[in-house]
Amino acid sequence: MENPNESIAHAPLPTPKTLKQRKNILIQMTRFIGINLKMVKMIRKGHHPMEKKVK
Amino acid sequence: MAKVLILGAGVAGHTAALHAKRMLGKENEIIVISPNSQYNWIPSNIWVGVGKMSADQVTFPLAPVYKKKGIIFHQALAQEIHPEGDLTTDSGFVTVTYTDPSRKGETAKVEYDYLVNATGPKLNFAATPGLGPDGHTVSVCTFGHAIEAAKSLKDAIAIMKSGKRQSIVVGVGHGTCTCEGAAFEYTFNVEHEIRAAGVRDLADITYITNEYELGDFGVGGLVFSQNGFQTTSKLWTESLFREREIKAILGAHVEKIEPNEVHYELVDGKKDVLKFDFAMLLPPFRGVDMKAFDRNGVDITEKLFAPSGFMKVDADYSGKPFEEWLASDWPKTYRNPLYPNIFAVGIAFAPPHQISKPRKSPNGTLIAPSPPRTGMPSGIMGKTAILSIRELIKSGANASVASASMSDMGAACVASAGSGLKRGSAASMTMYPVVPDYVKYPNTGRSLEDTFGEIGLAGHWIKLLLHYMFTYKAKARFGWYLIPE
Repeated sequence: MENPNESIAHAPLPTPKTLKQRKNILIQMTRFIGINLKMVKMIRKGHHPMEKKVK
Repeated sequence: MAKVLILGAGVAGHTAALHAKRMLGKENEIIVISPNSQYNWIPSNIWVGVGKMSADQVTFPLAPVYKKKGIIFHQALAQEIHPEGDLTTDSGFVTVTYTDPSRKGETAKVEYDYLVNATGPKLNFAATPGLGPDGHTVSVCTFGHAIEAAKSLKDAIAIMKSGKRQSIVVGVGHGTCTCEGAAFEYTFNVEHEIRAAGVRDLADITYITNEYELGDFGVGGLVFSQNGFQTTSKLWTESLFREREIKAILGAHVEKIEPNEVHYELVDGKKDVLKFDFAMLLPPFRGVDMKAFDRNGVDITEKLFAPSGFMKVDADYSGKPFEEWLASDWPKTYRNPLYPNIFAVGIAFAPPHQISKPRKSPNGTLIAPSPPRTGMPSGIMGKTAILSIRELIKSGANASVASASMSDMGAACVASAGSGLKRGSAASMTMYPVVPDYVKYPNTGRSLEDTFGEIGLAGHWIKLLLHYMFTYKAKARFGWYLIPE
């Protein structure tokens, strides 16, 4: 088993630009819509218990 | 008129109760039995545990909601299931002991035609000596526990403000725990609060988990498609740990907790001790302590329940090796094979096997994250059981019933990494399906199109939105049923 902290030490670190984007209100508003749409799509795909009836 | 009895009023049970009343109407009787007087939106306990939400914001009394909807509510603890009745009645019944202060200690028999077991887990702190609020660590499993956790964290921050270093440990307190996602969330919320208090340089934060790799979350990890590449939840999670300077101990079984010391064993058999000043460790789960008896009073608990205490349903419990399991082993209808008028949903059903690969240390210690089945899947299962009961009432015992396998169901997980409308952050993840299906998706077991992860402020807003949306739904306010599970 590898030392997890060595692996963590070599993990990619977000650039200052990425960190800024993660907090940018305008960018995050678009991501809010984008992530919600993705979630709705995923929910629609898997929430049909009556379409797959079994004996 | 059919009597539908629902045991438990958490996400699965409460969802089942509201849908039962809506779908089965006035002709049928809907009864809920729960030892708790309050509904608790558990995902937000994380914020109670860092002092960012009060108990009132994550709970509300169940009785007024049930009264408004015409659902009979007994605040009581279910203790025995008699699926065949007894010598005095042919009807199945459950014996209960009231926890309602006005009837405390009274016992009763509650008869049913259809039973939905949604009792959730027993928080098995006893599995690890010294674990939990009665031992030496805190928890966020209930709102009461989370309030205590927030107080302890506040004390630790106050000590850091006085200039003294503190060792903060967050994670899971046993090799067979589940809900690693919640431990992950709490880790990052704690880190966020300590940073916001201006004492981050005085905190050594360690995440201790039974996961073999970071990002496993009890579901064997995820593969995402990102910027034209396939990436893993391992890399993604490690990046977050590096960014926030949090250390990790992986593949760990916590053996015991002593004052300020976590004693643990790793997958490779090595044992070590981790010192702490503040520790929040989640307990392992097992089924609640319910017994079952046949008509003659013979104990049939082992027939109805798996050794873990969770109820057996239409899953493959043949115990085949981990490498041989299939997505089709997972239950579809959540009906008990012996008594098909009994359903078990949410955490209450016995999963057929782990999703994350189980491992044993050379000393024989099992280190195996248990499959998560909380939140979105729990709600879907609760609704599915009621859809099936509706068909059974309408068309008889041979009716086709609804199906919702976790191998054909997605889940969204928004793991908060710090609260605040402008400064908050969260890891938003979806996976489809929850249980990987390597026949349908040979490479990664899941649809790359519907499995993704992203970190940012938007995730915090989504978590907040989900908090208000699901609280609204649970209160059965106007149009509640339009909000998906």
